[in-house]
Order: sequence, then structure tokens, then C-alpha cells
Amino acid sequence: MVTESDTGSIQVEIIPSRFLLPATAQKLLNEIYGNGGIIRITIHGPNLPRSVPYGPGRGSPIDENRDLLIEVGGQAFELSVKVGRIRLELESEKYYEGLKAACERALPISFQIRRGKFFHTRQTITDYAKYGKVEDTRILGLIDPKAKQDRLAILSEENVAVHDEER
Amino acid sequence: MAYTPQYYPGSTSVGINRRKHMSGNLEKLRDIPEADVVAVMGHRAPGADYSSTHPPLKEMGEPDCPIRQIVAPTAGAAAGDRVRYSQWTDSMYFAPSIPYWRSYWGAINCKGCDPGTLSGRQIIEARERDIEAYTKAQYDSEMTDVALCSMRGCTVHGHSLRLEENGMQFDMLARTEMGSDGNVYAVKDQVGIPLDRKINLGKPMSEAEAKKRTTIFRVDGIPMCGKVGARKYDEAVDALHHMWELRSKWGFRPE
Repeated sequence: MVTESDTGSIQVEIIPSRFLLPATAQKLLNEIYGNGGIIRITIHGPNLPRSVPYGPGRGSPIDENRDLLIEVGGQAFELSVKVGRIRLELESEKYYEGLKAACERALPISFQIRRGKFFHTRQTITDYAKYGKVEDTRILGLIDPKAKQDRLAILSEENVAVHDEER
Repeated sequence: MAYTPQYYPGSTSVGINRRKHMSGNLEKLRDIPEADVVAVMGHRAPGADYSSTHPPLKEMGEPDCPIRQIVAPTAGAAAGDRVRYSQWTDSMYFAPSIPYWRSYWGAINCKGCDPGTLSGRQIIEARERDIEAYTKAQYDSEMTDVALCSMRGCTVHGHSLRLEENGMQFDMLARTEMGSDGNVYAVKDQVGIPLDRKINLGKPMSEAEAKKRTTIFRVDGIPMCGKVGARKYDEAVDALHHMWELRSKWGFRPE
């Protein structure tokens, strides 16, 4: 059952039927950004290591996974995952139809889009260990609890309350 | 009358393909040079000597043993080669072979090999010159589609993940890539060490072709029961139920 949020914001998950190439991911993210109304967004997918993590080839560089720069809303950042799922929170319901249309425009493949609750709202012990006391709760649920903090790329004009915000 | 082994029941295309894989009566789709297969396996440089664990059997002076007299050693065993492996990851998105069927193929058709089946990958170990021949046979035959199957010695992730946008199986280490000419190229060996040149593996199968050749039952392809909604199930299910019953009872006879 989906619990309606008090603030009127809605959470949405977009799952393309295939993993996206960086160019398609960039196009999709820009379309979503253009649609507006985003409170926060996270992209999810399998990790793309920069070098072979284990085995006899450990340490060999993986050039294909380096410099996967994409530009969203005028800001560039480096992809460290293969984009397979996008979760976002929209300010209100009125942006939902536009979001669907944006996905249809940007994705050459089929996709699923669904509403639900995808970000947690209360700080966990892991969050405390990672960030200390979180003032801005938009941070919560944005990255995998096991992921290192440097996986969080904050693209925002406003200051976000994470203690290493100089990134 | 000569006996013909009956490998797998059922009249679905998947059942027929499974029989083909087990019998070893496979169609050859491509011919990848032996040196390229050796390079992708990564155990020795193409043209280099085979490393050995013991002297050739002829020089060793074997004990007088009736079994050794009956069974001729494989080329690798006769020469005393090291045991090497090749490991495959096949996508569950209609890859022609799935882990168990590579193992059945190996166990039935390849002499002196040790197949191992895991959830998303399949490994065969054998003496080096034997495994090279077996790997080439797998690469060249319809058991392999170059986009949906790849040789992965480590970081085998990919079997149960969605495909990439260009139809390739996801590979964290980017061992194969889709060229602009539509061919798939191997750029690294099976453990992710870059090769000194790109190896052309040929064109991948179309989606329809992969569905035709696959050995995986799926509800969005060929389901195990045969036609969905049919009152009579395919023989594969009857045989499976029979085996399940025998295994559950495990010889129990309440008399």
C-alpha cells in the first residue's frame, strides 16, 4: 500500500528494460531535469570499477569504465554505475505525467515507471556513521548503505548538510 | 540394432535443443582461430609451450593396470599437461546454452574433463590442450552466442542481469565490446587482462535466433509445460515429476 505523503511530494521509480549507455542516460536525465519539480534523484545500477578488483588480473585498468562523464542541467559528473534504475522524488503529482512523457521521449527501449515509497525518512545507524547528524533529510536513502560516501554526487545550488560539502 | 541414447524428453524447441546439446550433435556457426581462443583463455601465450605437471606417460612407465590398457589417455594427459579451466557466463535472456547444459555437454562429450555448474556460470577443467579443444568447440558451435555468452574467469556477474542497451550481456570488466561494424570483439582475456589486439568474434544472433536456439525455459519464451493453457503438459514436465517422485521416495518401499 502506498502511503500518501503529507507534503504532497511523490516518489517514482523508473526501470528501463535494459541497462543504459552513458549517452542515453544523459539524455534521459536531462529530459527528467527539464520536466522540473525534482526534490532529489538517485541513479542505481551495477558498479563499474576502474580496475580489475580481484583475480589474476587484479589492478589492470578498465579504460572503458573511466571518464564516463555526463552532463545534466549544465553540471558534469562521472558515472560510476551502469544506469539501470532511477528513483526520484517530485514536488507534486502534477509533474508525474510530464515525467512519463520525458521517459518516452528519451528511452529507445521499453521501461516501467511506478510510484511508491523508495527513500527512507528516518536516520539509521548507518546514516549516522556515514554523515553524523543529518540536518537535511533529503540525503537519506540516496545511496546504498554499504556504498562509500564518495559515491554521493550532490548537484545542487543550495548548500546541503553533509560535512564534506566542498565536493 | 544400435542403441541411440535418449537424452532429454519433450517436444518443445527447448527440449529439442537440450537433446542437441547433450548429444554433441551441434551446428557449427563460426570458426574462431585456435590462437584467438588460446589468447582469450589467457593461460599461455599462443604458440608457447604447454606447462606440465608430469613427464609424458610413455616416459613414466605406468604400472600394469587393466583399466589403463583399456582407456586411451587424452592428448593432454599423455603429454602431462597442467590442468586448466575455461569458465562461461551465459545470460538468462535466451542465451543458447545455460550452465547445466554446458556441463551436460562436457560430461557426455568431452573426455577427461571436470565440469562444474554454478548458479550463473559454468566451468570446465581439463588438461590444457584438451580444454583448448573443448573451448574452441564451444566457441564455434551454436552453444555460444557472442553477445549473450562470454568467457569469464573472474567477476562473472552478468547471467541474471538485464542486457545492455546494445544487446550485450553486462560485463563489469568490459571484456567484450560491440564494434561499430556490428561485430563483437574480445578485448580482454577471461580474467580481464587487456589483449594486445582485438579479436573478432563475429556477429551476434538476432533476438529471434537466440530464442530459437535457447535451452532455457521461460514463460516469455517457451515455458516448460509446453503451450500455455494446454491441458496436457509437455513430456519434460511428466519426466521431471517422475524423477522428483523417485528422488523423494528414495527407494522407500512400504511393504
